[in-house]
Amino acid sequence: MKRILMVLLLPLLAISLAACNGGDDTDVVELDVFMSFPRFQEQFEDYFELFEAKMLEEENITVRINLEMPSSDTAQQLLEARLSSDDAPDVFTLHAISNIPEYYEAGYLEDLSDAAFVDVVYDSVLDSVTFDDKIVALPLESLAWGYLYNKDIFEAYDLTPPATLSEMETVVATLNANDETPFLLAFQESWIPQLMMALSLGGMINSEETDFIANMNAGTGSYADIDEVFGIIDLIMANGTDRPFETGSAAGSADFANGNAAMWVQGPWMSGSILEVNPDMNIGLAPLPVTNNPDTTMINLSTSTSLAVSPTSEHKDIAIKLLNFILDEEHSSDLFSDLKFNPLATVHTYESFPWVDEAMSYVADGKAYLEQALPDGVTDVTALMLQEYYAGTKTQAEVIEAIDAAWASALTD
Amino acid sequence: MNIKRLINVVLTLVVTMLALLVLAPLVLALINSFKSNGEIYTNILTLPDTWLIDNYVQAFVRTNYLRSLGNTVFLVVLSLTGIVLAASMAGYKLARTKTKLSKILFTVFILSMLIPFHSIMIGLVKVTNDLHVRNSLVGLAVIYVGIGSPMAVFLYHGFTKNIPREIEEAARIDGCGELQVYTKIVFPMLRPITATIIILNALWIWNDFLLPLLMISDKDKYTILLSTKMLFGQYSSDWSKILAILILALLPVVIIYVIMQKHIIKGVSDGAIKS
Amino acid sequence: MKRVNLSLVLFCLPALLLYSTFVLFPAVDGFRLSLTNWNGLNPTSEYVGFSNYRELLEDKMFLQSLLFTTRYVVYMVVLQNGIALFLAIIIESLRKGKRVLRTIFFFPNMISMIIGGFIWMFIFTRVFPQIAEFTGIMLFNESWIGNPEYSFYSILILSLWGSVGYLMIIYIAALQSIPQSLVEAAEIDGANRFQVIWHVVRPLIMNSITIGIFIALSSSFKVFDQVFALTGGGPGTATQVVSINIFMEAFHMRSRYGYASAKAVVLFVLILTITGIQLIVMKQKEVEY
Repeated sequence: MKRILMVLLLPLLAISLAACNGGDDTDVVELDVFMSFPRFQEQFEDYFELFEAKMLEEENITVRINLEMPSSDTAQQLLEARLSSDDAPDVFTLHAISNIPEYYEAGYLEDLSDAAFVDVVYDSVLDSVTFDDKIVALPLESLAWGYLYNKDIFEAYDLTPPATLSEMETVVATLNANDETPFLLAFQESWIPQLMMALSLGGMINSEETDFIANMNAGTGSYADIDEVFGIIDLIMANGTDRPFETGSAAGSADFANGNAAMWVQGPWMSGSILEVNPDMNIGLAPLPVTNNPDTTMINLSTSTSLAVSPTSEHKDIAIKLLNFILDEEHSSDLFSDLKFNPLATVHTYESFPWVDEAMSYVADGKAYLEQALPDGVTDVTALMLQEYYAGTKTQAEVIEAIDAAWASALTD
Repeated sequence: MNIKRLINVVLTLVVTMLALLVLAPLVLALINSFKSNGEIYTNILTLPDTWLIDNYVQAFVRTNYLRSLGNTVFLVVLSLTGIVLAASMAGYKLARTKTKLSKILFTVFILSMLIPFHSIMIGLVKVTNDLHVRNSLVGLAVIYVGIGSPMAVFLYHGFTKNIPREIEEAARIDGCGELQVYTKIVFPMLRPITATIIILNALWIWNDFLLPLLMISDKDKYTILLSTKMLFGQYSSDWSKILAILILALLPVVIIYVIMQKHIIKGVSDGAIKS
Repeated sequence: MKRVNLSLVLFCLPALLLYSTFVLFPAVDGFRLSLTNWNGLNPTSEYVGFSNYRELLEDKMFLQSLLFTTRYVVYMVVLQNGIALFLAIIIESLRKGKRVLRTIFFFPNMISMIIGGFIWMFIFTRVFPQIAEFTGIMLFNESWIGNPEYSFYSILILSLWGSVGYLMIIYIAALQSIPQSLVEAAEIDGANRFQVIWHVVRPLIMNSITIGIFIALSSSFKVFDQVFALTGGGPGTATQVVSINIFMEAFHMRSRYGYASAKAVVLFVLILTITGIQLIVMKQKEVEY
């Protein structure tokens, strides 16, 4: 009897097992990943292939990642349109400082506090992706930045990075006297001139004008309170390369790599494209002096691009595994060093870049601040106004007025 | 008499000069697309020392040329099919029906020709999100049919009015249904205006930039314009490569223009005068 | 419903459905959005009445873009029509080379102004400086992209290059429709060439001039690609036209869809009013002849 039963049941069991297995094999988990990194498309495609292989091997799940990399012009608009129409990608990039508060309030960010990557990310970096006591994103780009300088040119004239505005004037004078252009100006894309304001404002409001943001938010402040920033901005603009509006970030990188100017107010995120043009370039990084008070000369610490998971994702577990894999012990170091990103987790064992070490030496001396978020839109208006300030179509007073207006308008809705 | 001839010669010269000036940017782009960046920097106005094909090889690969060309052709063909079918049916029937409703519908179609694209842009982005037709070439084609139909309806309407009804009536008496009358009798008679509509809309959709920019985010679905724009941003100063990319982007248009310029010019002038 | 109407509706249905979904509805919805503070991100928005429109009146960047657009439109309407008419008259009077010249002048119309813009960018930023070096004419050495005063003309040159041929084709067609006998009769009466053009040709092509001005007006109010490709509206907002301003407001700056919609409504009303006035005025003129 038993034997008969076994004979009858065994095929059934086999079939059901096969069906089960078959189900596992053919089930494809599709993960939509939206990233605003078109320049790193290849690197991420390769990395995600590693992830797909790992998932298949270790968990027998076929994952297919649909990577979407729109141009930076429209990336944020496309993402926000998808978020607001209930069509969110499973995983997407956002800017830690400027996007997290708004996206979190709207309910578009999954709480990732329990994800494995939390244990390996440095606490200082983790702070910038923490909101409402929850960790809501995986930081990708952690930055310590000021302006870039050409170490060879500086050494040739025995210069060191200046600590005050008047020291900077001396440096500029020396360079001019030796027929070196002090500053590279690449203003075709408006975010680049904006960096001058970001650094000088940061220096001011973290030293002399600590009440600035509070005053602005209370409606009693004005950029006229920190108009000292125009000292350094004017100096840079008056001593820069020609035809800045015909030079974009790519052309700027090439010009800087070729030694066309000694300094460039630009972050280390450009180091990749600079080294591509001139692999032997000695890139230096230093804090930008704002006034004659050396306390205003500081390195900006911030986290920009980060990865978040949508709460509406159907495959949250896989999405979180993908985030964890970004900081995978075996592969993450290769990815991050390839992208020229700063190490931000204990798994990152690659040798850091010389300009990072240089920036960190200022941080160790306490000459650094954490970037603060400005109201939505203020940065964009500042960027456009600084272009016009250079072009001469806006005066300093008009620039101040426009930025004040943008701030006030952001507060009202 | 001599003065008149002199004026003629001068005017001919002026116009010929102008024609050369019109072509100059294209010719300069073409010759410099075969140079290295170094040569562009020093000798921009001369023929290249050596003709570099490598710029084109790279441009071909980097723009994923065949793919984006295929996408664009697919998009244009699909949109045109939709516009011609939808608009000829509507335009023909509107011209043949003399009721109040027909007048109202016709006015509704005409009205939209006054609405600039930028005024519907935001609402369009919203509606396409809600319908989930973004980031799809088919979805984009469907939108083109919606935007392109009114003008085509108008042209079909005007054209139908001028063809005699007798043939249709005869077919009806022979027992043809409405749909058959349209497909077998009317549509073939609309051929001249269909050609005009195809030319006008093909030009518009092929060269339209903003709508695809707003709708398509996936590189694999880029049209020629989108992939060109993308690489233009990335290369920025590397003119030898950019020029090759631009020439490649122009190539299909040039070829079609050379083959069909007579029809195109006729179509464009017919279309403009009728609307 | 009457049978004829039923069949009418069925025949119109595909076009009507798509047109309503992708043109009419977005247009109406755009107006509704212009009364809200929707930011494109939040699932919900609040009704704010006409406050967006009130804000517009004080929005310096928007007003500046309106002013810039108006200046552009005026230049375009005059130059585009003037040059097109000039070319049409001369080409038509030639015995040889008509077709070749017509083909050449129309050619840029086939080209996307994005591609055309990039090509002209090359001309302005690379070729011009070398011409300056070659000839010593300093005009070529200006920053035709970076200096807003010059980039206005760069945009104009690109736009004219890309659009004159179209109007020229229309004017050539109009000239060809003039009966040769009329011109000959005038010439026999002793009229010189300019008198023929002014007294005989001009009244007869008035209808085409109305079309030409209408096309130039409505297309240049909507200009986008040319500015986007050449200057992006920059430096800053110095060469921003209205369409770019709306585009930036909605998709670049703070995604204020509600506010940007209000601007879009204003653009629509503006184009409608101005082209409407133009058509009425010009139609009256045509009747006079």
